[in-house]
Amino acid sequence: MSIMEYNGAAVVAMVGKNCVAIASDTRLGQQAMTIDTNFQKVFPVTDKTMIGMAGLATDVLTLRDRFRYKVNMYKLKEERTIEPQTFAHMVSAALYEKRFGPYFIEPVIAGMDKRNQPFICSMDTIGCINFAKDFVVAGNAGGGLYGMCESLWEPDLEPEDLFETISQALLNAVDRNALSGWGAVVHIITPDQVITRQLKSRMLDWADPTVKDKAVRYTRL
Amino acid sequence: MSDRYSFSLTTFSPSGKLLQIEHALNAVGQGVTSVGIKASNGAVIATEKKSTSPLVDTSTLEKISMICSSVGLVYSGMGPDARVLVNKGRKSAQAYRRVYNEDPPVSILVKEIASVMQEFTQSGGVRPFGVSLLVAGFDDKGPSLYQVDPSGSYFAWKATAIGKNMINSKTFLEKRFNEEMELEDAVHTAILTLKEGFEGQMTEDTIEIGIIGGGSPPTTATGEPLPFAFKKLTPSEIKDYLSNIA
Amino acid sequence: MDARIDLNNIGFDFDLTKRNAGLEANGATAPKATKTGTTIVGLLFKDGLVLGADTRATEGPIVADKNCEKIHYIAPNMYCCGAGTAADTEFTTNMISSQMELHRMSTGRESRVVTAMTLLKQYLFRHQGHISAALVLGGFDVTGPHLYTIYPHGSTDKLPYVTMGSGSLAAMSIFESRWRSDMERQEAIDLVKDAIEAGIFNDLGSGSNVDVCVIEKGKVDYLRNYARPNERAQKEQSYKFPRGTTAVLKTSIRDLVQVTEDTAMDIST
Repeated sequence: MSIMEYNGAAVVAMVGKNCVAIASDTRLGQQAMTIDTNFQKVFPVTDKTMIGMAGLATDVLTLRDRFRYKVNMYKLKEERTIEPQTFAHMVSAALYEKRFGPYFIEPVIAGMDKRNQPFICSMDTIGCINFAKDFVVAGNAGGGLYGMCESLWEPDLEPEDLFETISQALLNAVDRNALSGWGAVVHIITPDQVITRQLKSRMLDWADPTVKDKAVRYTRL
Repeated sequence: MSDRYSFSLTTFSPSGKLLQIEHALNAVGQGVTSVGIKASNGAVIATEKKSTSPLVDTSTLEKISMICSSVGLVYSGMGPDARVLVNKGRKSAQAYRRVYNEDPPVSILVKEIASVMQEFTQSGGVRPFGVSLLVAGFDDKGPSLYQVDPSGSYFAWKATAIGKNMINSKTFLEKRFNEEMELEDAVHTAILTLKEGFEGQMTEDTIEIGIIGGGSPPTTATGEPLPFAFKKLTPSEIKDYLSNIA
Repeated sequence: MDARIDLNNIGFDFDLTKRNAGLEANGATAPKATKTGTTIVGLLFKDGLVLGADTRATEGPIVADKNCEKIHYIAPNMYCCGAGTAADTEFTTNMISSQMELHRMSTGRESRVVTAMTLLKQYLFRHQGHISAALVLGGFDVTGPHLYTIYPHGSTDKLPYVTMGSGSLAAMSIFESRWRSDMERQEAIDLVKDAIEAGIFNDLGSGSNVDVCVIEKGKVDYLRNYARPNERAQKEQSYKFPRGTTAVLKTSIRDLVQVTEDTAMDIST
């Protein structure tokens, strides 16, 4: 069993026209057993930058706190908001420092920079940055996500179209991955707003706030 | 016993002074004058290059140093002390680059250097630096000019001078400076300021000038804007400026 | 945290090694880092040297990056191709580049290729091969053009034409049959392109595009994606979904810009 498969995760980010999207599933598992269906893996860094982390959940939480600390210190010292590119290098340096005893997470960063240009990137566990102009993926649904993204993504998608593309890529990838799924969340970042949507995915009814009947039963979308 | 508090620099005098720091400022006050001007589109720092003997090969003297491509500095006071700060400044700029993959903003680099200088006013077995610095740079916020003193305090200036002739120079700058001044004008003004109270002949070999900014920013091969780079004027460039003045 | 950037902390942090060893003792396996399967080459020609690289990065069998940059900047007159663990080549070349800049500022001279080569081999030897960076270093300095290969354990070679990485055999077959001394510039670029393409097509660890870097006296030409032999065919139709396809449970919107009514701009009152 790989450590990266212990808790299960799927994270993806995409570039659109004057916008970016970042999405993840919300399952927390302990191997095949599901512990939580509302486990967040994508966190705000600044108003227009977010980081998603796939991998060992304990490290996801530790690094969320470490990065929040680092970004707060940056803001206090430099009296400015960190740019997504700069944040990516900060994350990369923090991961590579642990080259010979790494954190088991693969980060995905998405944001709009000061000129409102979209930026996305992903990294491996030791901080090698993968800058991409289209999409990046992380987590153990990675293979499936790559396939979905390669076929669904196209350039210059408007925010609402990008939402459909990234949502369908994520939902259909996690449907063929036993360790991820059980709810999904999508963030669309534009120059003016951040739209966050919880998706209806394949999961128990009781976890679905729109269903009044709390009877516990499986339901297919 | 009036100077009993001047030996240990970590001891305040009853009047609340740290005398070693004041002595360090005196060392700066005896140093060669340096001036700095922030123009609307850049910044300039300049200094006299004085040698104790005509036998010294002045081409090897260097008082203006690049810290990283977007920042340069000049000192007044003790050369060897300044060299330590230049080395520390360069290292800290590189340390910043290794984390963020970009040059540090001028204010951050100034804070780094200033905190080194402060540390030397509060540690045992060391003495304060016998230098004041003028730091010129260009970042996202535009051009800037800072002064850093032996105590570790630092100030941002539109134009200022340090060293032996600082009072006269500052009076001169107060009269000559205006906010709209562009870099070319600022270089001229800096030279004229140095000329006030310049002993001996001012030539391209007896002054040093460093500039950053001016004109349009450089770009990469693909047209992406690049930050301005600090550069020292060559003797022939300085000669051109001098001939325009005379 | 110290108010100042810590200059001494340039080493690695082993805090998590014990924990990770514990996890692995319990049957967990550590994840794979991004590798650059890679074909990288370099050759000398009449007026300088040419470096070349493919642009594929892999994580196991997955292509992690289809167009990554493997020719790294060392100094204005020097570049370095990297193969092996991608993070190691990236950080090692960055660190040496940083040391070269400090050295340039304190000496006031142009960097020499031997200096970078020595720093690299000493660093890699010190880490006993654990930093898996296999490099092709090339530059033009005051003593002329130089081309080195540096292995992860710290050994080096100085040769007129070199290849490295998993595609090195394919690339070397091209060099061995066609390299001559004193080639013209364009001939040299073409040969490098062909050698990299041999790697791209015959080695599965290499792929996508050809990056080329030509270094001559006082002149560097970084030809990013000099050849793109693997252009993807245009999709005939679109998979764009109609808006509303995805079922949404809940939407929340955070506005970053406040849109105010006309009163805010009205200064007449």
